[in-house]
Parts: sequence; structure tokens; C-alpha cells
Amino acid sequence: MRKPAKKTEKRFTPQKTQTTPFHPRTNQFNLMQNWDDWAGYLAANVYESFEKEYFAIRNQSTLLDISPMCKYRIKGPDARKVLDRVVIRNVKKIRTGRVGYTLWCDEEGMTIDDGTIFRFGKQDFMLLCAEHMYSWLQDAAWGYDVEVIDESHNICGLALQGPTSYSVIKEAGFKGVETMKPFDLREVEPGLWLSRTGYTGDLGYEFLTENKNALKLWDRLWKAGRQNWGLIPIGLEALELVRLETGFIAPGVDFQAAHAVSRVGRGRTPFELGFGKLVDFNKGHFNGRRALLEHQKNGKRYNLVKLDIEDKYPADSSYVYVGKEKHIGFVTSAAWSPTTKRNIALAELEAPYGDTIRDGIWVEVYVDKEGKWYRINAKATVVDGSFFSNPRTRQTPPGPF
Amino acid sequence: MSHSDKFDVIVIGAGHNGLAAAATLAKRGKKVCVLERTNAIGGMAQSRDNDGTSVPYIAHLLHNLNPTVVKELGLSSAIKLKELPTIALDPDGRHIEIAGNKAQYTDGSAHPDAAIYEEIRARIIKFGQLLEPMAARTAPDLSEGASFAGLPELMPLAKLGLKMKLMGKKEMREFMRIALSNVYDLILDDMEDGVLAGSLAADSVWGMWTGPRSPGTVLSLMYRYCTGGQSSLPIGGMGAISHAIADVAKNNGAQIRTNSAAEKLVVEDDQVTGVVLKDGTTIETKAVMSSAGAFQSMMIGGHENFDVEAVRRLRNVRSKGTTAKVNIVLKDVPEIAGLSDSQMASRLLIAPSAYYIEQAFNAIKYGEMPPAPVIEAVIPSLSDTSIAASGKHVLSAVVQYIPYYLEGGWNDKARNKLTKIVVDTLSKYAPDLRDKIDYTETLSPADIEQETGAPGGHWHHCEFSTDQMLAVRPVNLLARYAFGIKGFYLCGASAHPGGDVSGLAGRNSALQLIKDGAAS
Ligand SMILES: Cc1cc2nc3c(=O)[nH]c(=O)nc-3n(C[C@H](O)[C@H](O)[C@H](O)COP(=O)(O)OP(=O)(O)OC[C@H]3O[C@@H](n4cnc5c(N)ncnc54)[C@H](O)[C@@H]3O)c2cc1C
Repeated sequence: MRKPAKKTEKRFTPQKTQTTPFHPRTNQFNLMQNWDDWAGYLAANVYESFEKEYFAIRNQSTLLDISPMCKYRIKGPDARKVLDRVVIRNVKKIRTGRVGYTLWCDEEGMTIDDGTIFRFGKQDFMLLCAEHMYSWLQDAAWGYDVEVIDESHNICGLALQGPTSYSVIKEAGFKGVETMKPFDLREVEPGLWLSRTGYTGDLGYEFLTENKNALKLWDRLWKAGRQNWGLIPIGLEALELVRLETGFIAPGVDFQAAHAVSRVGRGRTPFELGFGKLVDFNKGHFNGRRALLEHQKNGKRYNLVKLDIEDKYPADSSYVYVGKEKHIGFVTSAAWSPTTKRNIALAELEAPYGDTIRDGIWVEVYVDKEGKWYRINAKATVVDGSFFSNPRTRQTPPGPF
Repeated sequence: MSHSDKFDVIVIGAGHNGLAAAATLAKRGKKVCVLERTNAIGGMAQSRDNDGTSVPYIAHLLHNLNPTVVKELGLSSAIKLKELPTIALDPDGRHIEIAGNKAQYTDGSAHPDAAIYEEIRARIIKFGQLLEPMAARTAPDLSEGASFAGLPELMPLAKLGLKMKLMGKKEMREFMRIALSNVYDLILDDMEDGVLAGSLAADSVWGMWTGPRSPGTVLSLMYRYCTGGQSSLPIGGMGAISHAIADVAKNNGAQIRTNSAAEKLVVEDDQVTGVVLKDGTTIETKAVMSSAGAFQSMMIGGHENFDVEAVRRLRNVRSKGTTAKVNIVLKDVPEIAGLSDSQMASRLLIAPSAYYIEQAFNAIKYGEMPPAPVIEAVIPSLSDTSIAASGKHVLSAVVQYIPYYLEGGWNDKARNKLTKIVVDTLSKYAPDLRDKIDYTETLSPADIEQETGAPGGHWHHCEFSTDQMLAVRPVNLLARYAFGIKGFYLCGASAHPGGDVSGLAGRNSALQLIKDGAAS
């Protein structure tokens, strides 16, 4: 499951911020009462302590209320066709009982959002994403024998992530989960869908169920995890750090969602975001295909890359340079990664910097030392693959760790 | 189907634009086949024969047949035109005759507004002629770095391509000032509202969902007048024009197949490779041009082959027709007091004031027929005996504003009501008309759609307004004829520059196809 968009401009929320079905519990744990608005819902930033939550994700197990995610059910005889029309990857290859990560573009090949496709059945899918997409999906479905249903407000989601998450699930009495491989999806109990997916790059699972089952699910996991497996709830701040360690991108932060910008040239292609490999030109027409073929021919304009930066100061909002002082881009997300002990960042560079030219790149980091600002020039190395990775993430059956 | 039957280009629709496209391609050595759904060619530009009387089925006069098209296709010897003056009819009998930019009362006496009328009309024509080169080529590509607020994009282009500077600063400023404004204000700033003002205002709104007070009407008037603003009667009937173009196509090897409706494209790896006909036959081709409406063409191409945003736009193209056709076969020529026999052969206009037109426009907003519609009538049989071997005469009337969506729907009763409104309106000027009627034929916009396939029965297939013009006609990003799928082109009135019997959309599109190498 992906993190929410961190918006600079807040979208119009038609009513008072909503609470999710888990609110009676999340509210009780939120000692700080530190809430943010996530797609119109109250979402905890931090429950108690950011550090405690972050380390729990990497060493224990954690619960994150992901109910605010947008959830679009797409079902009917043409459901697969409609999704294939929308997204860049081949949906045929996502079998029933599997989840697939993908991006989708507008007609100009600019990324609208990224998200995950859950395939419940031959003709039954759910698209989960950060951006509101209902009317656009309605347009995409026009002329097809399909139903697009916005289930964002009837279905809740709970992510259970961390090395001991499998143990929690087992202790909670869910059967047969040991055979679930990464990206597997199952109705583990009637009305309760479980997938082995997540945003942490670590072992983890996500539950989807109707709102009415929310508290029962929370309490069951809580009871199973509290005693032996170090289960605690986590908020958006910890989520932000782990998603960056994993190298996941966020709309509104690392790229601008095509529907959210009005200025020309702000959109980015999947190639430029590093997801060129997902684009399947052989599956028939899909949105933006012709434009993407042009982009492929003309080459990338930008490269969104992972940077490993010398020195310890997070390179938030830094400019990126090459050589003497040639400005080539800027940092979109940055943090000190405690687990990998690296100073990491995502940065957008002008192509071909970041792919064919990687030498001599450095960032200008701004450091505030008790009210006094310092400027540090730090060398940066382009990193392939995710910053954080651990074999336990993929091991099946998972161990207790 | 053997391999030799493979065409370079298949053209869908044998309206005059499809034919102009076919002729343009065939003249350049392309192997072309035109598919026409109905049993006759010409689309909205055809004549129908009824017992030896030929009626201009829908379109009846030429005002925008493009000289470049005539020249390129070598049509000038094949077609014969008779320029017609306009008689702007006055309910009080003080009719005005307009020839070129000169206006005077039909009895030869001077009209007090003649000088200012001449000035306004000459200026509109001049500006229109500046725009003409834009009409005679593919719409400008604004996709790089421009936002599509619509018309303002025209200004820099106009400046760029149209030798505007040569007009001098004052005229240029005037163009900028009026281009986006409405005809009502433009005319009535300088003239009294009345018959003369009405005649100009009417020419700004034919076929459109606009009244003289609607923005953009000055621009549509410029388009209407972009080849000089003169109305001509095609000798031999409107069908003769379509047939002359068809002959050029055929003489250069093109095939034209009637009763052959195109149903669906065959698309392989995003490239057009054939057309499936309604009867199930498949014809192979390298490219396809469609003169069906924009939405209809998308459906022939398969909506799944268009991007989500394109489908949404094409579904929302505005094309509700506003114009009906009433053809009246006459036992004899009626009389209009104050008009000589030769004046009776003119283009007769019932648009006695700009206000009258605006009033007529009001009704359509509520799905109603106006009790007093705007009418352009002509009795072609007075100028062209060849079309009335029967000895009868024909009064051809283009009637506006008649809604496509009529409250209560279109049926015989509604059609009879429309016929009555038209006959009543005409009878105010020609009281003996009723006695001379042999029979009438009335086509509502819905009937025109039914008969010709034109979406909404719309004159331009796609409303001719600033948000559906030039670089956004019929829709944004599909305005340069190439229509999504590789090898698929739009070539009818819904493409740039729009409708009228002008031949430009078909000809421009064919040239673009060749330039793109789509049939090689
Ligand atoms: C009431 C009225 C009066 C008008 N009067 C005038 C006038 O006096 N002067 C003037 O200049 N303009 C006039 N116009 C406008 C003018 O007639 C049109 O703009 C012009 O004729 C359009 O030509 P076209 O070839 O683009 O389309 P059309 O003439 O509409 O031709 C399209 C052709 O495609 C065919 N077709 C559609 N779908 C298929 C398919 N799937 N397979 C095969 N064939 C298909 C149709 O049958 C038709 O023959 C008038 C319009 C109206 C409605």
C-alpha cells in the first residue's frame, strides 16, 4: 500500500474531516493528538514517538490505518480490458489472487498516479491509489460492460507491517497464510481480504474489509501482537521514512500528478520516474501509449533517481549540481536512514544526468544549527534498487524473526 | 479478397468533402476507394429528382466553395455558377437588393445606410480573406507550450501568418477588437437595426447555435465571407458540384461504392489495415479517411483505440443542428410585391432585423420552433431551367432556428407544423404562394441526421464556435486531421476549417495524409 500524497495545496474537502472506522482505537492511542488530513480523513501523524514507531516497523510489527486510500472496484465482463486500457502494465499478467503495482498516464503520457491493482477474480478488481480518480475512471469505462464503484468510504484498510507481522497473523488464528508469497491476495476469512503487500520494503500484509468489521479486526490483531510481537500503531511520519528507504515515489512530492497541475511541462512520464520497464507496448492500446512511444523515441527529459549523500545532514529541498556548479535538479524527498545508516534522497535530475552521466554529482545541503544556517556541499552517488532490502521480505513461509 | 484489391486509402462518406479528399489523393496517384452508406453521392450537397424536378436536397447555394480546391481539382470548366444578388425582404415592402457590397432599395433608390453597410461588409470580407489561408491548411499546432484557452491563440497566429502588419496599425487594432465580439454590437454600433442590419447578422449564424448577440459571431461572419461573401447558384443543382468532384476522382482511378456503409476499422498494432463494411466484407487499405462526424468516426475506429481524454471530448462535441430544410415544388412562380421577375431569382432573405434573428434564436433554447423563423430561400428553377424539365418550379428554403431536440420529439405532426410556419412566413411576402404549391418536403435537423448521418443534422457536423475551431476542432489534440490510430484521418465538416460546401476539409486532410506518408 502506498503513502498518501503530501500536498502543498490542500484539496477542497466537501465536509468536515471524516474519521475512519478505526478511529475509536487510533484516537485512543494518539497521545499527541497529532492528526493530519489524508484524503479528507483524520490520519495520525505520530501516536507517541516517531522514533519508536519507525524502529517498530524495522524490528517488530506495526498497524497503520490505510482506510483513506482511494479504492475503486472495477468489475464486470470488461473489467480487465478497462484496467488494461488505463494502466501501463499488462493486467493479464496479474492473475486472480495477485496484486500488481502500476502507474497510469494521461493522453500525453504524463503520470496521473501510481497504485496497486488487486485481482479478486476473473472479472473483479480493485484499484488502490492516493489520488481521487472516480470521474476519470468513469470516463475510461465508457462504452465497456463494466461497473466502476467508489468503495473508498465503505471498505477500510489496515496494514500490518514489520518482521514479526507474519507471527502476529498466525497468532491471531488466520489459517494458511504461511503459503502466501509476496503480492499474493486471499480471502482469508469470509469478507476479509489479505494481501502480502506494503510500503515498507519489509515483511508485511494488508487487510481490506467492510467498515463494519474494522474494530473486530483491529482488536484481534492487537490481542495477538501486543504481548509477544511488539505490535504498535504507527503514523504518517514513520511511514514517510520507510517508504523513502524502500524507494517508493509519492505523487505531489516526487512527481506532480498530471491531474493536479495546470502548468505546461510539469508532468512526468513513467520512463522519467524510473518505471519504464513496466510499460508494455505490446498489449494493445492503453492511455497515453502513442505519446509514450514518442517519448521513448525522443528520450527522457528528467530522471528521478535515488541518491546516497555523503555527510549526515538530510538534503531536504536541496539543489543538485554537477561539476563545478552546473545546476541539474533538486531533491524531492530526503532523510537520514537509521536502518541503512545512509543519508538518502530522491532527486529529479535533468536527463541524461542520473542514467548515463553519474559522476561528479553533488548537492548543496542547508543545515540549521540552532538558528544559524550553514551550507554544505556533499557528494552524491546514484543508487540503483531500493536503499533498504532484506531477504526476510521475500521468504516464504516467513520466519518469526 | 485478393491482394491487388488493397487500397492506399479508403474514404468513408461520399459527401463533397469525402469526394474532394478522394480526388486530391487520386490525382496524386493514390489508389482510392470511397464508401458511401446511402445510394447516392453528395451527402448534404446533393440534388434529388422528383418526377423531373430536381431539388437541392439540403444545401442550395455556394458561398464558400474554395478557389484553391476548384483550381487544384481543375473544376472550373466542369462547374457553372451563377452569382445571385440578395434581396433582403422587408415586411413593409421596402425590400433591399444587395449585390456585392452595394445595397439599395429594389426600386433603385438609395438606402440611407448603404455607405456604412458597404464599409462594414468590406472590412469583414477583408479580415475574412486574411483568415482564408488559415482555412486552406492544417490547423496550427499549438501543443507545444500553449494553453488552450481557445481563440486568443488565434491572435498571435493571425499576426504571424496573415500579413496583418500590411493592413496598418489601425486596421490591425480593429481586427483584434472585433474578432471575438458579437455581430449585434458590431453592426448596431454604426447602423440602425432593420433589414440591412439583419442581412449581415443572418450570415453570421447560419447552421449555428448562436444568435447575433452571441460571442464569436463576428468571427463566423469572417469565415462565411472568407472567399468574398458572394452567393452563387450551381447550375445543374448542388448535386452537380458533388458529381463534378466525383468525376475528378473517378477519372483519376478512384472507385466510388454506394450502399456501402463502413462499420469498423481493422486495426493491427495501432495501424489501420482495413475497413469492415456493414455487410461483413473487409477491404484492405493502408489508410482510412472519414467524413462522418467526429464522434461517429471515433466509433468506427473503435473507442478503445482512443485515449480516455479524447473519448470524453469526442462524446461532448457540441453538434445540435439548428437548421431545417423545406423544399417546395411549385406549379408556378409566386409573386412578391415590388420584385421584378429577375429579382425573384435572387437569394431571398427573411431576416428583417438583428433583433428578429435573436428572437428566433430564443425559441430553440427551449426546444421550440420560433413562430417567425429566419429563412434563406431561392427559386433555382428561375435561373436554371435544366433542373425543372417538368415545367414546375422549386422554392428551396433553409430555415433557422429549428431545434434538433424538439420538445415532444419530431414526428409528422411536428413536421407539418414546421411546414406551416415556413409557408406562413413566406406568404407574408408572397401571398399567393399557398395556391401555387404542388407539394412540400420538410427535413428537420433530426431528419437530416437520419438521412445524411451528419451528427445532430448539424450544418458543420460540429458546432462552429471558438471552443471547437482551429487548433481545437473538433477537439483538442485531434485537430490536425490525423485521428488517433495511425493511418486514420478525419476529413469532413467536423474537421478544420468546418462546414459549408467548400471542399477544404477533405482537400486539406488528404494533403496532410500524404505529407505524413500515411498511404505510402
Ligand atoms: C439545412 C442545411 C442547409 C445548408 N445549406 C448550405 C448552403 O446553402 N451552402 C453551403 O455551402 N453549405 C450549406 N450547408 C452545409 C453543408 O451542406 C455541409 O457543411 C457540407 O455539405 C458538409 O459536407 P461533408 O462532405 O463534410 O459532409 P456530408 O455532406 O454530411 O457527407 C457525409 C457523407 O458521409 C456518409 N457517411 C456517414 N457515415 C458513413 C459510414 N459509416 N459509411 C459510409 N458513409 C458514411 C453520409 O451518408 C454522407 O453522404 C447546409 C447544411 C444544412 C444542414
